[in-house]
Amino acid sequence: MNSQDAVEYIIETLKKRGAEKVQCSVMDSEKKELNIDAGEMSLFRTTFNSGVGFTIYKDNCKGSTSINKLDKDSIDGAIEDVIELADSSEPDEAYDIADYQAPKSFSTGNSVANMDSMYDRLSEFSDHTKSTYPKVILEQAIIDFTYRKGIFANSNGVQFGLEKGMYNFSPMFTSKDGVKTSSFNYTGFSAKDLHKPLKDYGSIDRLLKESEEQVVSHQVPGKFNGQIIVTPDCLDDFVSTVMDFVTDIPLISGRSVYKDKLNESIADSRFTMHSKPRSDELQSNYFITGDGYESQDCTLIENGILKTFLLGIYGANKTGLSRSVNDGGAHIVDSGNVAFNDLVKSMKKGVILSRFSGGNPSDNGDFSGVAKNSYYVENGEVKFPISETMISGNICSMMNNIVDISKERINFGDCIYPWIQFDGLTIS
Amino acid sequence: MLNRAISSYSAMFPKEYTELRVQENRSNGVALLNGDVVSNGRSAASGVSARIFKDGQWGFASNPNISDDAVESVIRSSTDNVRFLNKRDTSRCGIMLPETFINFEKDFTSTKQKNSQKHWIDFLKSLDDYIVSKFPKITSRTVVIRSLDMEKSLLTATGSTSYSMTPRAHLMINLSADKDGQPVELMEAHGGLGQLEDNFDNPQFYFPMIDEQVEHLLNKVDGVYAEAGEKEVILDAELAGILAHEAIGHTTEADLVMGGSVAGDYMGQKVASSLVSLIDFANNVNDITCPVPVYVDDEGTKSEDVTIIENGVLKNFMHNKDSARHFESTPTGNARAFAFSDEPLIRMRNTAIMPGNDKLEEMIASVEDGYYLMKPGNGQADSTSEFMFAVNQGYEIKNGKLGKALMDTTISGVAFDMLKTVDMVSDDMTWVSSGMCGKKQPMPVGMGGPAIRCKVNIGGR
Repeated sequence: MNSQDAVEYIIETLKKRGAEKVQCSVMDSEKKELNIDAGEMSLFRTTFNSGVGFTIYKDNCKGSTSINKLDKDSIDGAIEDVIELADSSEPDEAYDIADYQAPKSFSTGNSVANMDSMYDRLSEFSDHTKSTYPKVILEQAIIDFTYRKGIFANSNGVQFGLEKGMYNFSPMFTSKDGVKTSSFNYTGFSAKDLHKPLKDYGSIDRLLKESEEQVVSHQVPGKFNGQIIVTPDCLDDFVSTVMDFVTDIPLISGRSVYKDKLNESIADSRFTMHSKPRSDELQSNYFITGDGYESQDCTLIENGILKTFLLGIYGANKTGLSRSVNDGGAHIVDSGNVAFNDLVKSMKKGVILSRFSGGNPSDNGDFSGVAKNSYYVENGEVKFPISETMISGNICSMMNNIVDISKERINFGDCIYPWIQFDGLTIS
Repeated sequence: MLNRAISSYSAMFPKEYTELRVQENRSNGVALLNGDVVSNGRSAASGVSARIFKDGQWGFASNPNISDDAVESVIRSSTDNVRFLNKRDTSRCGIMLPETFINFEKDFTSTKQKNSQKHWIDFLKSLDDYIVSKFPKITSRTVVIRSLDMEKSLLTATGSTSYSMTPRAHLMINLSADKDGQPVELMEAHGGLGQLEDNFDNPQFYFPMIDEQVEHLLNKVDGVYAEAGEKEVILDAELAGILAHEAIGHTTEADLVMGGSVAGDYMGQKVASSLVSLIDFANNVNDITCPVPVYVDDEGTKSEDVTIIENGVLKNFMHNKDSARHFESTPTGNARAFAFSDEPLIRMRNTAIMPGNDKLEEMIASVEDGYYLMKPGNGQADSTSEFMFAVNQGYEIKNGKLGKALMDTTISGVAFDMLKTVDMVSDDMTWVSSGMCGKKQPMPVGMGGPAIRCKVNIGGR
């Protein structure tokens, strides 16, 4: 079957079999991928796949299934499977699917990879790294072009067409100088084309340079309470944790520390963060939510005030709160007024935190972990790269202890972050 | 059930070294959140892939269809891919891989009658009802059951064939209680090798384990923060297991050694106390099957145990064919792919520190001021062997006796330094296998070990 026929067949068959509500997506994908391993071009990979996923609500009981076949026998088997799942389950009136919206198609990027450009850019990146940063070993560098085309539909008449082609690049690297070894580091970006050298996207070239510096590192001088400047590469770990606290499961279970904080202050008043899956500022967009609504841009935290929870249909119905207009992510944090160098100059004693290897924060926001690829700062000067250094704190307190936000930002293609200086961390 | 007989496709192979794999992954899962079914689903993904090696480079292609046409297509596409690379880079011309040969089948499909999804939902509801009725202080409950079957057929150009069906199934119980209006949680996982029917029978079997989990959780509610800094600790078996996997295991995967891991500088050197021996087991220990048994890897190599550290000395790395060629060593059967569309990578199987001669009780009694750390959360390690593990369950040790429970914390250290501080190793061994290792692809792995006494940095306040 083709995608359109499959979607119509699945929804109609399941409705005839007693499902009151059905949502279904059918997506074909093709990925072209080049790999560098241990500094050598090693692998060219082509993968084709199909994804057929559907969820039904029958007598208010839920069943979900996914397969990767589009032939009728496979789809019929999955239909039998999902009916058994729903018939086995427990009813919950909070289950629902998206309301009717006018049919629409969304498209971004190209449909075909430019393999010559992918090879040439990756080769150019490898040559640049070897010649400019001879201590750096590219443990692995992967560039891929992934093209997806398909349909999302439901039994309320929702029908969205989707087509997306995107390049993704993710290098991982370590530096060695004799037996001296740096921590590994990694970064990445998403883009619609490869019009400039890979080193010039995101923060790649800066991180390669820093990696060479980090072959010699030291511990911080003892335990102290101090400040950290979280780099754009590392900031996602922290702000995504904050937003995870306001998703379905923590709010339904009542475990979220922010459950009573909608439209109240949860961060310093200079902090504003948007979720913009449709923004032209970002190369990588998403167009519909997992529940089947056309996604919209929104502001998550405005001047420190939590403006929305990230609830899907089920979470909204379960808690009696409003559904969010997107699924989160696509973060854009507003810039501040201070240059990064001035953030450093203002810091009496602390750490520039470039990567955080930490445990998942507790439900109350407590966290601790190791500072990686990071630097010790004293009296406004970067002193040395650090190792064996732990950072401990509470994410909720940290968001209220912002010292300043840089005016520079890094655009990774799927998010835009500045450097943010926080106070009140335990560093040991 | 996949077709085990794919040998006839060898006629389609080009002259270059070729692997053909047909694979299906099937999963099932149910989750209850405070008694409500929030997840109830199954998935299956299958297809065929081919990988071709020529002049030091690989071409790979996969297709979700399993047919003669799809096999022909992936062989043609992977041939085109490796030729694309060979044409542009001739620097590795002439490189050949070591040859391996084995024919083997292993099927862990349950012999028990398959239960309906309703059976498993009722199973979870019995556990949930027990928690609700017995423990009013529990403020939130998540009870999850899930399974993963990985079924593979492999054919290589050197004549290796293998078929395997390797399942695993787990039950996860996550409980929360309030501390001054803020949540404190503790998660416990049960299960391992086998399908759901092999692992789970009577829900009442788990009631004493839930009792114990709640006791630890309520102790944690009254718990204290660890004191930050270097401390003497007893790492219980689960933490020793994650240490073996994350901090040592990854640094001794030969591809990461080629990528700059410090282990490359330490071969043959003393990297740990003489009490420490660490092995990546292929499929069994003393004839007892490991949680993730691998008999033939996805390059058609017989999987062998790899003794990584023997009495404190670094002895071996884990290899695939290409790294074995690079290091002039022997392939160890560590090349594993997660999905049909994934290429094999060097992955651990069942990595464990070997038991010693000490008793856990005596080890705890020997610590004057330290911590007994019992349950890990997530963990990460580095090319330097510096590691970080979350610790979600632990206790103070004061004058040889267990004291107050700990709030969530994190431990860290440089593994090749920290292992030199190991001075006691317990005489028992425990395996865990509920997590997924992440290295480009996810992968089920087993981790195991005894309890060890050592010094680590601990995060806290």
